Amino acid sequence: MSGKVLVVKDLSVAYGKVEAVSKISLEVGEGKIVTVIGPNGAGKTTTLSAIMGLLPSSGHVAFDGCIEQVPEVERMVVRGMNLVPEKRELFGTMTIEDNLLLGAFQRNRHGHRDHLETMEEVYALFPRLKERRLQQVGTMSGGERQMLAVGRALMAKPKLLMLDEPSLGLAPLIVREIFRIISELRRRGVSILLVEQNARAALQVADYAYVLENGAVKMQGEAEMLRNDPRVIESYLGLASKHQEMLAT
Amino acid sequence: MEALHIIGEEHQSLAAILHAIRFMLKEIAAGKLEADLKLFQAMVHYLDAYAEKRHHPKEDLLFRRLPQRTAEGAEALVKLGLQHAAAPQRMAALEQALANYVADNSRFDEFARAFDAYAEFYREHMMLEEDVVLPLLRTHLTADDWTELDAAFRAEMQAKSGKDGKEEDFSALFSRLVDCAPAPIGFGPRPFAN
Repeated sequence: MSGKVLVVKDLSVAYGKVEAVSKISLEVGEGKIVTVIGPNGAGKTTTLSAIMGLLPSSGHVAFDGCIEQVPEVERMVVRGMNLVPEKRELFGTMTIEDNLLLGAFQRNRHGHRDHLETMEEVYALFPRLKERRLQQVGTMSGGERQMLAVGRALMAKPKLLMLDEPSLGLAPLIVREIFRIISELRRRGVSILLVEQNARAALQVADYAYVLENGAVKMQGEAEMLRNDPRVIESYLGLASKHQEMLAT
Repeated sequence: MEALHIIGEEHQSLAAILHAIRFMLKEIAAGKLEADLKLFQAMVHYLDAYAEKRHHPKEDLLFRRLPQRTAEGAEALVKLGLQHAAAPQRMAALEQALANYVADNSRFDEFARAFDAYAEFYREHMMLEEDVVLPLLRTHLTADDWTELDAAFRAEMQAKSGKDGKEEDFSALFSRLVDCAPAPIGFGPRPFAN
């Protein structure tokens, strides 16, 4: 398990009698970006939620060298795992700064008093948030909310940051910037598990990738290999996706 | 195949700028947005300088290798070569239309039409590269080709990153454009300052 911040083995999740995720195994190396791509309904978000302890699951999750028999969300946050959910789940009537401080709540509760220093690090990464720190979140644009959601997760000083569809609903210009920031986080040593429908953008930034279909891993490999794999190109990077991206112009 | 990765990244950046300009033009035409002329100028400059100084020279280096390995794609390469050669004139037309609009805001429609023509051309240009030429490169170039090309691309990326102040820092410029572009396409609006 050396060098792996996350090792998931045979993870299964069922909604009633329907198995949404079936015996998925995946790993995230320290300081790496690993992406899970796949069509809508493939089980990507379910996988993240189960790893985080938000959904009951079977299988094994080992995080930062310790096996979690039953992942529980609060313990996972304290241990250094954090999730930026697809819907961002921000508090719209609170200020940007208060939302950031909430991100440090568990860490603070466990005796760490470095939240102001961490907030300055977040502000250095997202100067826009500092300028508007007293603004209500409800008045922010979609791109700014995504920045804040990532910033709030960083307040917990995560060893593993899990991002669920960070590009969803955002314009191409902002998507490029968000992925630049994701790359910057890797450069700073944060390990990242990135779930994305925008396979092209995800494979451009990732080190390793899993292709999820119908709740199971269909392919996996170095991102460069998958970027150039004819099956991935046809299904996820082919004409339809490129036209969609470039027709947006 | 890092070279293909870099070309893909650059296409996405150029496509994002095209999308942003088109969005702003539509909003201005609909009376929903006030034009930031400096932002338009900066975005058109990005399309010009980034494509000409950084992107097309790398593509030319990459595409030259294809005829050495296969006769396939010859027609597309000729077409792309002509398009790259004609890029300065095409960009000059767009820049002139923008200059006319900056001098006289009643010439907005002229700039919008010039931009539509440019964006449509450039979209087709990138699609031809991605649909025809890049797949052929993947298929026919050898491991030695990729080692050599990847090294050349890496060297170019390092030498021309702009981080040393010797070249324009297009990455920083892109971030400034995102910062100033109005929501929902950017984090602004805020006035673009040179």
